[in-house]
Amino acid sequence: MHQNILLPLLVFFPMVAAILGYAVGRKNKEARNNWACFTTFLVMGGTLLLIGKHARYSLPEFCGLGLSFEGDGLRVVLAVLTSSIWFITTVFTKEYFAHYHNRNRYYFFMLMTLGATLGIFLSADLYTTFIFFEMMSFTSFVLVIHQESDEVIRAAQTYLGIAIIGGLVTLMGLFMMYHMAGTLNIEALAKFMATQEDKSKFYIVGGLILFGFAAKAGLFPLHTWLPEAYPAAPTPATTLLSCILSKAGIFGVLVLSCKIFLFDAGWGNFILILGVITMVTGAILAVFSVNLKRTLACSSMSQIGFVTIAIGMQGLLGSHNALAAGGTILHIVNHSLLKLVLFLSAGVIYLNLGKLNLNEIRGWGKDKPLLKFIFLMGVLGITGIPFWNGYISKTLIHESIVEYIELLHEAGQSTIYMQSVEWIFLFSGGLTLAYMTKIFVAIFVETNPYANTCYPSRKGDYISKVSAVILTLCAVALPIVGIFPYLTADKIADASYHFMGAHAPEHAVQYFAWVNVKGAVVSIAIGGLVYLLFIRKVLMERDHNGNLVYIDRWPKGLNLEDRIYRPVLLIILPFIGAFFARIAGSLTDGFVSILRMAIFNDDSGRVVPPEDRYFSAYTDEETDKIVYGEGFAKSLLMIGVGLAVAMLYILF
Amino acid sequence: MSGDTMLLLPVILPFFAGIIIGFIKDEKQRNRMVFVTIAVELALVVYVAMVESSLTVWNMTNRLSIAYHIDGIARYFAVLICVIWLLAAVFSMEYMKHEHKPARFFMFYVMSLSALVSLCFSANMMTLYFSYELMTLLTFPLVIHTQEPQAVRAGMKYLGYSIFGAGLGLLGFFFLNTYCFTTEFAPGGTLNMALIDGHENLLVTVFFFMTVGFGCKAGMFPLHAWLPTAHPVAPSPASAVLSGIITKGGVICIIRVTFYLFGADFIRGSWAQTALLVLSLITIFMGSMLAYKEKLLKKRLAYSTVSQVSYVLFGLMLLTPVGFTGALLQVAFHAVAKNILFLCAGAIIYKKGCTLVEELRGIGKEMPIVMGCFTIASLSLVGIPPMGGFVSKWFLAQGALGSSIGTLAIVGVTILMVSALLTAGYLFSIVLDGFFPGNNFNYSAVQKREPNDLMIIPLLILSIAVVFLGVFPNCLEMFINNISGVIF
Repeated sequence: MHQNILLPLLVFFPMVAAILGYAVGRKNKEARNNWACFTTFLVMGGTLLLIGKHARYSLPEFCGLGLSFEGDGLRVVLAVLTSSIWFITTVFTKEYFAHYHNRNRYYFFMLMTLGATLGIFLSADLYTTFIFFEMMSFTSFVLVIHQESDEVIRAAQTYLGIAIIGGLVTLMGLFMMYHMAGTLNIEALAKFMATQEDKSKFYIVGGLILFGFAAKAGLFPLHTWLPEAYPAAPTPATTLLSCILSKAGIFGVLVLSCKIFLFDAGWGNFILILGVITMVTGAILAVFSVNLKRTLACSSMSQIGFVTIAIGMQGLLGSHNALAAGGTILHIVNHSLLKLVLFLSAGVIYLNLGKLNLNEIRGWGKDKPLLKFIFLMGVLGITGIPFWNGYISKTLIHESIVEYIELLHEAGQSTIYMQSVEWIFLFSGGLTLAYMTKIFVAIFVETNPYANTCYPSRKGDYISKVSAVILTLCAVALPIVGIFPYLTADKIADASYHFMGAHAPEHAVQYFAWVNVKGAVVSIAIGGLVYLLFIRKVLMERDHNGNLVYIDRWPKGLNLEDRIYRPVLLIILPFIGAFFARIAGSLTDGFVSILRMAIFNDDSGRVVPPEDRYFSAYTDEETDKIVYGEGFAKSLLMIGVGLAVAMLYILF
Repeated sequence: MSGDTMLLLPVILPFFAGIIIGFIKDEKQRNRMVFVTIAVELALVVYVAMVESSLTVWNMTNRLSIAYHIDGIARYFAVLICVIWLLAAVFSMEYMKHEHKPARFFMFYVMSLSALVSLCFSANMMTLYFSYELMTLLTFPLVIHTQEPQAVRAGMKYLGYSIFGAGLGLLGFFFLNTYCFTTEFAPGGTLNMALIDGHENLLVTVFFFMTVGFGCKAGMFPLHAWLPTAHPVAPSPASAVLSGIITKGGVICIIRVTFYLFGADFIRGSWAQTALLVLSLITIFMGSMLAYKEKLLKKRLAYSTVSQVSYVLFGLMLLTPVGFTGALLQVAFHAVAKNILFLCAGAIIYKKGCTLVEELRGIGKEMPIVMGCFTIASLSLVGIPPMGGFVSKWFLAQGALGSSIGTLAIVGVTILMVSALLTAGYLFSIVLDGFFPGNNFNYSAVQKREPNDLMIIPLLILSIAVVFLGVFPNCLEMFINNISGVIF
């Protein structure tokens, strides 16, 4: 088979560049920053070269089983997405990080993470995926913990903890999968699973493998790290986490759902349920949040839920999955682009104010039309307003649900379950609108009653020219994708169908027909109501000066991590484990002590000659305890024990 | 004496060189002598290990003799031991500056090597037993080196447990002498099936007790208790080799007994196999759990050894080629990683005097290179790719799932995973606190404490080895496959 050297280069070049950059950075910081930009630019060029090709490369005997890479449709889409977003973020990093410590470390791990992430997206077998997945978890952890304050450390520890647990559970699943199928090559696994009559016995294995990927994607109930870690990381790192790293988890879910459990309704339903819960939970958390980055983080979680629903629908729809497949990949791409714009805008705000609480950053953007425009594009995109890109993918996902309801209807089955999914879907879409309106209004529309105390005076522009140009370009791209879906979005979807086992739909989707717009209108109506009736009335309150302020009404105790995960994992289970381990650990020593009591007459446990303290001390007790029994009493005791043993022997 | 006399040279050279080293007063000269001896020893071992050869030193009776033989196992372990011995020696040259009586330390340090090489090269049970006891006795002075009451007590415990374990081995030897054609090691076993007929259960019991006895050195439950007591009290370079290498002495004996005297076929499916698997799993969990709860750094590492060496025993007792490969890979990766960890602990004690885990906050800011090596070794022990530990864990798990031990396989792999999680818990917490001490850390007290080259270079070499062997494990794997091709 023809080997394309580009694939391993894309993965390993950033890692080598990271080391070089680190060495350079010790001498010259400016050169290091430019080197990082240059590296990511080269990588972006490299991924663009892969478009339209079907490249393969394998490194046998590497890390034991060997690594293998593949670059085809969906993988290339994800790789291009990764490298371009990485490039943009790196350019932005230069400005954002100008006053940070330990930048050398950040750049090193940032480039390492790029290599590892590309390794995941370009992997042809799950072994390769896993190796790079673990690398990515650890290198990105350093990005999350970068600021090193106590809250950040706590959030990062949760991130690492869930990543390690997730990795180990996934590894367990891979062990079993490899044992059963004899391979971890994704295509070979797909073939192997196609020959299996009963896929349900693989559900446990699949669930185990899913665990780690779901944790990274932030699916319920493994999402707890996400609302903490995203805001804790420096904004460029958050952008990468949200735009790319979460998609690495989704890639794993895709491999499981579209290769291993292709067209499997049971599995699809499981994924759908996970997706629905994640979508709603994320949206509700976002509505309650009063912190800009936290809102965006919860929004990421919710959007990942939308993607997961689309993946689940692929399984349920079986071979009619074109709409769901298109929705999956388009929502992945759209969400990445949208979050790039939104998080980088949030970064600009944080850079100027050093604050993220809505009450403190309120009204800051009122007189900044450029930033307002950029942010607005992101808001309109993510809420799924027609003519913006989010609308395209959300419509596809919605249509796939509607299609399934029709299929069920034709088959004469109950549609209540799927109809409720549809309504939850529209409701979550509404919540998206509500929380995005909340932050947009707060930052760009309202006036801050405490403006003079909140805003430090900063000389010069609030954003550098380079960043402004890049952000504007990204923001303008969003409506372009939304207005010309046939030229842009459909192309991306066409490239990806093959991976998901789907065929392009027979006729192009009428994105702007009334049937399809209706869903969006319902969502917008719900969103408007939620914003006006719930957010303005319940989540805002007049403070002692009579000004309306945002308050955090989320119940403190309602936190899975603090209530369940941490106590169980850090206190209860270790206590039980240590209890048994201590018993086992001291079994032999206890036995020896008892023997010593029985054998040595001397109560200190010393053997003659007592004057030599080195070679006579036959005791490891710190204190010389008085040993039970001595002389006559002990002899009697021993006789008793002997008699008892003899009795038992005779009896049995 | 018959055979290749060259074989005797690596066995006796360190012994006599060690005695001489004990009398060299000048530090520089002594260090040079130590380095040259171990380097020459390494070269000699590599040289004699290149060809398969044997040597009978002394025939005591027609069945008992002191004899050496080079085969795959001998090569693998001897080279590994010498390399690590050399690196730890370089480290100790700096470390021993703050300990008393360095000459005595180096004397026994070098002499122990001769017992270990002899153990690797042994061709029969007699030689094995003799070398095993010699190893215990020669390493005993390393444990009690500080001569504090606590160390002496630990040393006595070490001696007591080891001799008791060896006694169990000797007991088995008596039986084997009757039921084997010969007690020379032969791949696939030397049992005389005609004599055994009807006594299978007796022989299985003998096997069980021999393995438990030799398992004492490897820290296997129930004879593990000496290890967490003895390893922390020794000077750090000594704990490093005790944990990394001496425990593997027990592993060599178990391999010889299992695969070269009894034979895997005889044991497979017996109650002893199940019992030993269960014992090793108990050890794996217990070790990790106690390490997680331990506050003293070196003691934590010692518990970690208890757990990690039992991975090896678990792999061996699976009695499958894949499990065997995993076990031997784990031998190498654990030896290297645990050496790094103990040497790092040594460097910290040497430079900062900290022994408790909680004192290590912010240590990464003071000793970045040392803690970097510590991190790499931790990643390997937990089994994070692309470090070595991941590869051995992969083989161990595949070996378990592919063997005929039923549900114990799933239980075993689960315990491996739980233990990996605990390992992450007790090692990464040190790394995290070390590099990211948090808000209320006094940054002004931070000063560069990086030790000098004598300490750093061995650490760096070992760290590179962990990564390199993890990425390219196939050279080792092929070598091990050659061994397992013969014994299965």
